[in-house]
Amino acid sequence: MPLARPTRFGKPPPIRKRLPADTRRKLPRPPVNLRVREYAPCRLSDHYHTTLSDNLMYMNYSHTLQSDLPPKPPREIRLRWDPSNPYAKYRKNDPVGGTQWSKIPPEPSTPANITRLEAVQIHIMSKDALTSRSNLLGVIAALRALSGETEAGGGALAKGVKGVEIVLGKKQVGGWIRAGMPAGAKVTLKGSAMYDLIATLTEFVLPRLREFHGIPMPAAVSSHTSYLPASSNAVKASDVAGVVSFGLPAPAMGFWPQIEVNQDAYPKMYGMHIHFITNAVGVGAQERARALVSGFQIPFVRKSS
Amino acid sequence: MSSRTLISLCRGNSSAFSSGRRTLATPIPKPKLLTSIILNRAPILTPTPTPFERAYYAYQARLRRALSNPFPYDFYFKQGSILETRFTLEERKRERIAFGREFGIADDLDKEKAAANRAAVEQLAEQEGESEEMMARVHPSDEARDYKSLDRKGKRNLYLLLQENEGTWRFPEGNVKKGELLHQAAQRDLLAECGEYMDTWIVSRNPIGHYRPPRKAPLAGKPQPEEVAFFYKAHILAGQARPNPETVKDFAWLTKQEVESRVSEYYWHGVKDILSDH
Repeated sequence: MPLARPTRFGKPPPIRKRLPADTRRKLPRPPVNLRVREYAPCRLSDHYHTTLSDNLMYMNYSHTLQSDLPPKPPREIRLRWDPSNPYAKYRKNDPVGGTQWSKIPPEPSTPANITRLEAVQIHIMSKDALTSRSNLLGVIAALRALSGETEAGGGALAKGVKGVEIVLGKKQVGGWIRAGMPAGAKVTLKGSAMYDLIATLTEFVLPRLREFHGIPMPAAVSSHTSYLPASSNAVKASDVAGVVSFGLPAPAMGFWPQIEVNQDAYPKMYGMHIHFITNAVGVGAQERARALVSGFQIPFVRKSS
Repeated sequence: MSSRTLISLCRGNSSAFSSGRRTLATPIPKPKLLTSIILNRAPILTPTPTPFERAYYAYQARLRRALSNPFPYDFYFKQGSILETRFTLEERKRERIAFGREFGIADDLDKEKAAANRAAVEQLAEQEGESEEMMARVHPSDEARDYKSLDRKGKRNLYLLLQENEGTWRFPEGNVKKGELLHQAAQRDLLAECGEYMDTWIVSRNPIGHYRPPRKAPLAGKPQPEEVAFFYKAHILAGQARPNPETVKDFAWLTKQEVESRVSEYYWHGVKDILSDH
């Protein structure tokens, strides 16, 4: 049985009733909500299911005894606002204490919460766009070529994917950015498109970067090298969010084969940020996310302190 | 996990099991700890899609082609170039596969020009040497039933199984020295049993499973120590196993189902959930 031969399709049923037309696009509206799902087997997705998921389960497994479940609630270290207290009743309900987000333990290991990749996001910020919006056109064209996505994706985007989006400034920062101004563009990829992008990155882009030893990780924190006192809370929000991010310099854009074929068609080369969004949360989430991402042959190096 | 904690755990268990028979005259010996390594060769080929999967992918690919935005030819190709002609011909072929033979016939140029285009594209393909054949998905070692080859069964996870001189098949294993950590013992035992002519990586410091061999009959009235084997998963990255000929007669790289046909039933029930179905 030849592998590549597609299934033959019969003739579609005749359309007996005229389809209602979309007033805006002037096109017939299909009677069902069409969504394109996976349309080919995916090599890296298979690699995840046959090899990586097992290894990640073994590497990240933390043993919880059945007698310890459900875990004990944390000790309340500060007073909570109590409406039954007549002193507090008509006073302002101020939040008391922090949420301790940096100390939330990871969920107990189960087959359902093995670290997995949910999405990959590419984000390009262009400072030129602040002076003239038309400078964003090069960014949008580059992202379209890199990801194969457009704003509406031919009307058939996968669930949770929005195509190439414009990023607006959130805050007013003097001399740098203003709120509501278009400052860049981003694209979120899921499913096989996300795995295709990772394959292109590791096979075409990273091997051709000059002086690239790996994605730098922060230096290991130890009592000898850290300038912070041992009691200080050195945990950052990114450490517990399970997102791995890194940047590529502007010259690296020419190494993507999608851009390389007609590099002259773009006004200039842009640097970009790539975010790998995983389902890991809690203490040590970033380590677990890095273990997953390195399974797709993306190297990491520890900065020497 | 240190071997000391495990010994205390095992001791607790064994005393709980045999508390009824325990006498002062025959003290129960300490359990003997073993480490065993599940050495894995990960799949090197993608799995073959089932007929249902192929039909699903074909339908989705057709839907995607029908709904996608038109391709911007003028952005990627110089107008009238031979590369554009080649791409147009290939694209036409793909469209006909997706939508049927009649699709796009009306757009064809006059016959002479179409034949000239095809000839030019064939000439280009010859220059670029594009007629290279793809490698077969079945390796010669599959046809020769060479169980020692690491190239066999490319779509499956393979595991290294050793045959002792007595004839029984098992995974590589060894004992744990006093004061040694289990994952260090696993590394040492793997090298001792399978030789140094391969690159391996032990996946985690945690054991992935455990197995209790059947209790041995008492020797000269003395009860034999209970044995507990802890399994570690490892990957082979390069090289080949060269097992120690003093203890090992033969070795084989086997899939889960082939492992079942060689090991004893008791051993199989101890290890079957550790092995991958993929």
